[in-house]
Amino acid sequence: MSNKGALLKDLLLVVLLVSSMLLTKEGVTSLPICLNGSDSCQVSLGELFDRAVNLSHYIHFLSSEIFNEFDERYAQGRSFITKAVNGCHTSSLTTPEDKEQAQQIHHEDLLKVVLGVLRSWNDPLIHLASEVQRIKEAPDTILWKAVEIEEQNKRLLEGMEKIVERIHSGEIGNEVYSQWEGLPSLQLADEDSRLFAFYNLLHCLRRDSHKIDNYLKLLKCRLIHDSNC
Amino acid sequence: MKQKLTSSVQIILLLALIAVGLTDESYPGKPKIIRCRSLEKETFSCWWKPGSDGGLPTNYTLFYIKDSEEKIYECPDYGTSGPNSCYFDKNHTNPWTTYNITVMATNEMGSNTSDPQYVDVTSIVQPDAPVNLSLETKTSASTMYLWAKWSPSPLADVSTNSHAYHYELRLKPEEKEEWETISVGVQTQYKVAGLQAGVKYIVQVRCILDLGEWSEWSSERYIQIPNGESPPEKPTIIKCRSPEKETFTCWWKPGADGGHPTNYTLLYSKEGEEQVYECPDYRTAGPNSCYFDKKHTSFWTIYNITVRATNEMGSNVSDPHYVDVTYIVQPDPPVNVTLELKNPINRKPYLVLTWSPPPLADVRSGWLTLEYELQLKPEEGEEWETIFVGQQTQYKMFSLNPGKKYIVQIHCKPDHHGSWSEWSSEKYIQIPTDFRVKDMVVWIIVGVLSSLICLIMSWTMVLKGYRMIAFILPPVPGPKIKGIDTHLLERGKSEELLSALGCHGFPPTSDCEELLIEYLEVEDSEDQQLMPSHDSGHPSKNAKLIPKETDSDSGRGSCDSPSLLSEKCRESRALPSALETQEVRDIQENKGGKRSWQTQCIASEQKILLFNNENTKSSTWPTAQLPTNQPPMFAYHSTVDAHKITLSTTNVNITPVLVGNEEKHQSQYPMTETVHDNMVKQRQMENLHSTDQTTAQVRQSRPDDKSPFLNPELMDYVEVHKVRHNEEPAVLLKHKENNGKTEKYTVPGTSKEYTKVSTVVDHNILVLMPDSRIQHASMSQEPPMETSQNLQQGQAEKNMSYSLTVPSECKRETSGSEYMDPSSFLPSFK
Repeated sequence: MSNKGALLKDLLLVVLLVSSMLLTKEGVTSLPICLNGSDSCQVSLGELFDRAVNLSHYIHFLSSEIFNEFDERYAQGRSFITKAVNGCHTSSLTTPEDKEQAQQIHHEDLLKVVLGVLRSWNDPLIHLASEVQRIKEAPDTILWKAVEIEEQNKRLLEGMEKIVERIHSGEIGNEVYSQWEGLPSLQLADEDSRLFAFYNLLHCLRRDSHKIDNYLKLLKCRLIHDSNC
Repeated sequence: MKQKLTSSVQIILLLALIAVGLTDESYPGKPKIIRCRSLEKETFSCWWKPGSDGGLPTNYTLFYIKDSEEKIYECPDYGTSGPNSCYFDKNHTNPWTTYNITVMATNEMGSNTSDPQYVDVTSIVQPDAPVNLSLETKTSASTMYLWAKWSPSPLADVSTNSHAYHYELRLKPEEKEEWETISVGVQTQYKVAGLQAGVKYIVQVRCILDLGEWSEWSSERYIQIPNGESPPEKPTIIKCRSPEKETFTCWWKPGADGGHPTNYTLLYSKEGEEQVYECPDYRTAGPNSCYFDKKHTSFWTIYNITVRATNEMGSNVSDPHYVDVTYIVQPDPPVNVTLELKNPINRKPYLVLTWSPPPLADVRSGWLTLEYELQLKPEEGEEWETIFVGQQTQYKMFSLNPGKKYIVQIHCKPDHHGSWSEWSSEKYIQIPTDFRVKDMVVWIIVGVLSSLICLIMSWTMVLKGYRMIAFILPPVPGPKIKGIDTHLLERGKSEELLSALGCHGFPPTSDCEELLIEYLEVEDSEDQQLMPSHDSGHPSKNAKLIPKETDSDSGRGSCDSPSLLSEKCRESRALPSALETQEVRDIQENKGGKRSWQTQCIASEQKILLFNNENTKSSTWPTAQLPTNQPPMFAYHSTVDAHKITLSTTNVNITPVLVGNEEKHQSQYPMTETVHDNMVKQRQMENLHSTDQTTAQVRQSRPDDKSPFLNPELMDYVEVHKVRHNEEPAVLLKHKENNGKTEKYTVPGTSKEYTKVSTVVDHNILVLMPDSRIQHASMSQEPPMETSQNLQQGQAEKNMSYSLTVPSECKRETSGSEYMDPSSFLPSFK
């Protein structure tokens, strides 16, 4: 009898426990945005890199898209690729070509490389955005992407200057970039040549935007995550 | 006769009319059996060509007769071989039988039957043409030959040896008309020598089974016989792939070797460089491949790759392959895929998938960024659900169907370019059935269990009867009066008992009568200790018996029976008393309500038994007891002790509450009522526990009692001082003899004091203690009262089934000693 009584008690206890556990909800806590007052409330380097990487990722995405669209629409059967081997206007800039090179280069130098490549594209992107309008039956998707890339590239450049400023805390050499001389080729009368000039430019854009994206991701992992992404 | 004739003529005319009228509709035309054929001598089919259908829907029926039997069979299977055909499966095919086959076409108008076709299965065998004919030129010992291979039609069951196909091969130069036919035999390959170099040949094969017909020729195959010795064909670069964005490999497919051992060389040049390099590593990635290690792998550079095949006769170079390593990254599948079912306490369960990037991929440095995609489906499902996960290496799934088994796979891809890896190996996870349901089940189980326990408890209660009750409601020990041997009581030897009580001799003498002075009413819920020998295995039976016993019981004898009754009893028997007793009874019933009345029955029965054993006169007894008119004179004690079930009975301590009823006769009423109320209250309060209620009623006649029926004389009274439940039940009575005696002695005719335990209600103990000092004084005085008392008592019994407040004044009056009055053990119910 007493056993049964005890059992009943235990059961009651269990029921109570379960119900209490069911009733309690997990507390939710929120973190303040600025922990140490407004002074140190500036965007952290990590956040800056996150934004930069997001931008570069987006730019490269757009570049790939615009290239693929163009390739599909204008380059079929013209074997532009074989001619494109000639290189891009940024090939004068020394950029790491594989992982080892990219890892060996000092992060400040790599940042400079990124800045250099970004600046080298300032001019051509502006012209691309305007010249692409003249392509015969250019679809809207290509047109707006050209404009979008140009704008985003500027924003990324600003962001990168900020990052370099933060890391360098010194002056940024403005001179390290490659001049683009390709405007005339975009305005060639011969359609094939002109299309190839576009093709080549887009091809180079895709490549360089990928380079930038790749370098930035590398830098982010190295500087923010201590090479342990 | 004439009538018959005319009628028959009419019929003929009618028929003719019908025939004329339905010219466009007629019975079907004659079908024709076109062909019967067996593919492998084990089954066969026949096809027929329908005749005209006569403009009506026509059914075709195939009948056949075996040469060995007379019986006509119908086609076993019209479906398998297509329309207008009949398929004879293995069971219906006998190679040693000739079948006589006819087809009957039937429509509404009639039927028509084809000409019979005689079929001998062996002779109608025609296999399908051989398949997979492949040709190859080989050079051995500087002679060129053609190597042809083929396989029999997949329909034929090659495994059984009974089918020996014989093959024929024919070939001719492409531009010629004549075929050269070669009998091959049973092999499925053939070497043709002596062919003209530099000529393109066409080759075909066919087969035959035993005595059947040749199959069709197989489809044509062409082969260019090499012109003696030639340079190899152009190799083709199939693909290039980088598994981790650091190295890459290219594979190629060699062309024809031109009959000579051929070397392959991979050459590449990089964008912007004029120099041509050769493959740095032919071995690592297997045959016909080139592995580019880290040193030789650059990104954002286009590789121009070609493969050159070279033999003695010359070389041939593949088409160039342009590769930017960035775009050919295809990682290995993710590893360490784990599925874990999380079951948080206060949330819904969910599935957590975790995985690791492929070991080759260096995602930590940021050089390669991988994105993942997973797909899952229920095990029996058809379509995969694909979920793009992004860069994270874990994923939580919340909406899964419970009770299903899921298959999960994951693959990965570089963030921008490249291609998806292979899927990781399938992982299975069983989603448990709904947790709510599980909870429900738990609750149901709990409910069932508890109700089961309750059932068992009540069952055992019913079975074990008072034992269980006694267990739950520990017995209150009977009042133990010093000097009384309880064992004697139990044994029921009245004489001994009586003698022990000081009442010698039976039937009672005047001595005994004089014993009555006081009543001690003790209500006790448990009498177990008094009556241990009574087994109440049949409570219900007992219960039935009791009411009857009550009456007959009236004679529970004791020495005080008739003689004790005084005339005053009569007087004292007033209505009020009856009411009062009823009240008390109510109380008791209330009390006992929960305990089940079995208990009461048992108890009462026990009492009855006890007193029956005492062989007392039934007729007289009750009367003596019933006069309960003395209410005011007794201290009314109600002791209610509540005990928890779990308490052992022996430990029960009962503290009697003495309620001295000092009031007068009239006030008796209220008193009982209050007691009643108390009891009820207590019952309510202690409902959960099993209540052990002991009521001790001690009535005492008071000298100042103004009741008309009351004897003015006052008796000594006894208070139930303590009721101990420890092992030996005992009521400690406190005799106020001194006072009483003095009073009594002052009143003439009542020189004796009785101490009477008049009632033991429920489970009660009756103890009577003789007051030896006064015992003998008034014995002889009593007899006259007895009869009258009896009469009254009889009435009383009729009026009230049971009187709790047994003590009557008469007794007191007459008694000088204490005695035990068993009449109080009357059951409390009728």
